[in-house]
Amino acid sequence: MTRSRVIGAVLALAVAAVAGCGTGDSVDVDAAGDTGGGGSGGTLTAAIGGEPDQLDPQRTSAYYSFQVLENVYDTLVEPGPDLRMGPALATKWTTSADQLTWTFTLREGVRFSDGSPLTSEDVVYSYQRIISEKLNQAYKFETVKSVTGPDPTTVVVALTKPTPNLLANLGGFKGVAIVEKSNVESGAVKTRPVGSGPFAVAGYTSGDSIELARNDNYWGAKPKLDRVKFTFVKDPTVALQNLRGGEVQWTDNLPPQQVTALKDDGGDVSVESRSSTDYWYLALNQGRKPYDDVNVRRAIAFALDRDAIAKAAKFGQATVNQTAIPKGSSWHYEYAPYRHDPDQARHLLGQAGVRGLTLDLMVTSEYPETVSAAQVIAAQLKDVGITVKIRTLDFAQWLDEQGRGTFDAFLLGWLGNIDPDEFYYAQHRTGGTFNFHKYSNPAVDKLLDAGRTESDPVARKRTYDQAAKQIVDDASYVYLYNPDVVQGWSKQVTGYQVRSDRAIRFRDVGLDR
Amino acid sequence: MARFVLRRLLQSAIVLLGVTLVVFLLLQLVPGDPVRVALGTRFDQQTYDALRERSGLDRPLVAQYVSYVSHALTGDLGVSFRSGQPVTTIVLERLPATLSLAVTAVLLALLVAFPLGVLSAVRSGSALDHAARVFSQFGVSVPDFWTGIMGILLFAGVLGWLPPSGYVALTEDPAGWASHVILPATAVGLVTASILTRFIRSSVLEVLSEDYVRTAVAKGLRARVVVVRHVLRNALIPVVTVVAVQLASLVGGVIVIEVLFAWPGVGRLTYDAVQARDYPVLQGAVLFVAALFLLMNLLVDVLYARLDPRIGAR
Repeated sequence: MTRSRVIGAVLALAVAAVAGCGTGDSVDVDAAGDTGGGGSGGTLTAAIGGEPDQLDPQRTSAYYSFQVLENVYDTLVEPGPDLRMGPALATKWTTSADQLTWTFTLREGVRFSDGSPLTSEDVVYSYQRIISEKLNQAYKFETVKSVTGPDPTTVVVALTKPTPNLLANLGGFKGVAIVEKSNVESGAVKTRPVGSGPFAVAGYTSGDSIELARNDNYWGAKPKLDRVKFTFVKDPTVALQNLRGGEVQWTDNLPPQQVTALKDDGGDVSVESRSSTDYWYLALNQGRKPYDDVNVRRAIAFALDRDAIAKAAKFGQATVNQTAIPKGSSWHYEYAPYRHDPDQARHLLGQAGVRGLTLDLMVTSEYPETVSAAQVIAAQLKDVGITVKIRTLDFAQWLDEQGRGTFDAFLLGWLGNIDPDEFYYAQHRTGGTFNFHKYSNPAVDKLLDAGRTESDPVARKRTYDQAAKQIVDDASYVYLYNPDVVQGWSKQVTGYQVRSDRAIRFRDVGLDR
Repeated sequence: MARFVLRRLLQSAIVLLGVTLVVFLLLQLVPGDPVRVALGTRFDQQTYDALRERSGLDRPLVAQYVSYVSHALTGDLGVSFRSGQPVTTIVLERLPATLSLAVTAVLLALLVAFPLGVLSAVRSGSALDHAARVFSQFGVSVPDFWTGIMGILLFAGVLGWLPPSGYVALTEDPAGWASHVILPATAVGLVTASILTRFIRSSVLEVLSEDYVRTAVAKGLRARVVVVRHVLRNALIPVVTVVAVQLASLVGGVIVIEVLFAWPGVGRLTYDAVQARDYPVLQGAVLFVAALFLLMNLLVDVLYARLDPRIGAR
């Protein structure tokens, strides 16, 4: 029959193409099967919300990349559970009397997962690469004059100015990881990075998953798991189904509206949350009238009901805050001058002589919580006579407009900060790199400059408290809330802890079977 | 025949060149800066300038386009802004997943649409015909991601028969592949089945009203013989085109379903590339899909020429 031959030919061609193209790019470095043999620790499958753009830790800026790389790489120092910086590749360090020279002692006998030794040369190479190629984290090395390795286990960092937050800069997250020169130069680092962490990348199927295998050269306690497989599941409902069905054992991509119910009774699933160091805020463009008037900004701060905003945006998985740094951090400063007071807001707007104001608020679908929060904010501001026009953009366009300053206001968050300098400097210093909303107060500039170099912790805390108070009083940012980190895992998983900096560490995790 | 194919190939090349130009120009119109997306929110101006230079985005547009096309002619589609991997490798890696999903969806669709379409035409006005029309109306109206989510909730959640998402390569584990492909392929296939059912029905109806069918009936042939030998043979020729076009468009267009089911195909690649403004990957993916489309069309035309000599002679 002619017709069946025709259809058959078309389909046969397509099938042949499928078979001919092979099967992605998944190569195992060792023979361990994914279900594991006798006495093995098994494979934990983790569902994350998207695919890493690349796996070069110094080049990527994607959180999805760092979820994977947290388990592959080491930094000189690293934040412990309380986010205080502690030893990692460096076991100890000393600071010169003038605070300008830091000397780190490296752990003996550390090896990369490919077996080659990790020495001070690798640390020097890694930092030089960030500085000379002007990679993403280059701004963290602003005060670094030189990095040298006088012997294989000593690294000396010379500074132009005292830098009390140097440890956070050198170890706050894996963006400043120690990389292997040959791995970088061959270009393999983008898909097959070689680090010294508890696991090593064993396979990468583009669009589908990344598989890690235990690094037997790891310097720390031997990880219990044989393998960790990260799969990319964008839809939270689908991720939850995978967790419930046992296809995955861990995910941080849970439908926010179901979190409360899951925490109460998740069946075979444990859901836990922890308040994070992230904060979400409303920024008003002070390069535009009338937002250059502090009374207008304060009026908006008084008009907002933060509890309602947090409830809408995060389904209650957040703690409201009028400053940036959350309770629980040693840098927290208790200050909350803005109660929800529409009368006060109207009064301040009257003082500023502002009537019938229309505010252009820019939010992004990349972070759906900004879209929900914007709707509540619009309703609250309407109550004091401000009409809010919400513009929902995709993130690429959003970033573009933020950079060009074409907005009255925007909503966004800052994630993963540890040191107060990271919380305030680039955002609120006049001309600061992230000061897209054009805030400028010489008094705050002075405090932020002083805090950068102040080495006495008590005096430093006092400086940042003053800066925080002024920033809140000026409503440079209108701070809204600190969200919780919410993650869920199967009851088989043992030893996992939710961290407030969102670092996903599987090194101490086991799997009961 | 050889001249016919050669002429079509030449035309295809010109179309592809046009595609590169249109895509390139469109990307310039889309707001959003790939360098900013790559760097996220935390970087300083020097880092921005350095990456812009490394990506070649600081060059004039004409220079960028000319160098893109001249490299593309040698098979080099550039490297991804995001991952630094060659675009050709990236797209080829994703092709098997997409092709296997698209082919399965079209096969499922044909399995339903062929009998349904033919029967509802032959027994036009019957209860079956009405049911078929309701089915195809439903299939084209309900969005595929909705059927997808319902499928996941029912077959993965409540019944636990199928995995909710993910992908296993057909060549590695055929059974695993089948269990993963069935939900997304059904979600996509339902839409295709509805379109094909309608098309097959109207095509068969049209042929049924032809004079030669009346003649065949009049000379006393049995209904079965009339339908199989005279009607289907003629009615299904245009259907081949529609099936081929459906298949080709599925290869480029199952974006939503691929994202929902975490299916590592070209659609998901395109989605991620759009989000990141990864121009080289986007251009590469569009070019591949366009080429595939043209190839399908050429194939159909060649088959036509064999079925119907009048086409080749022209």
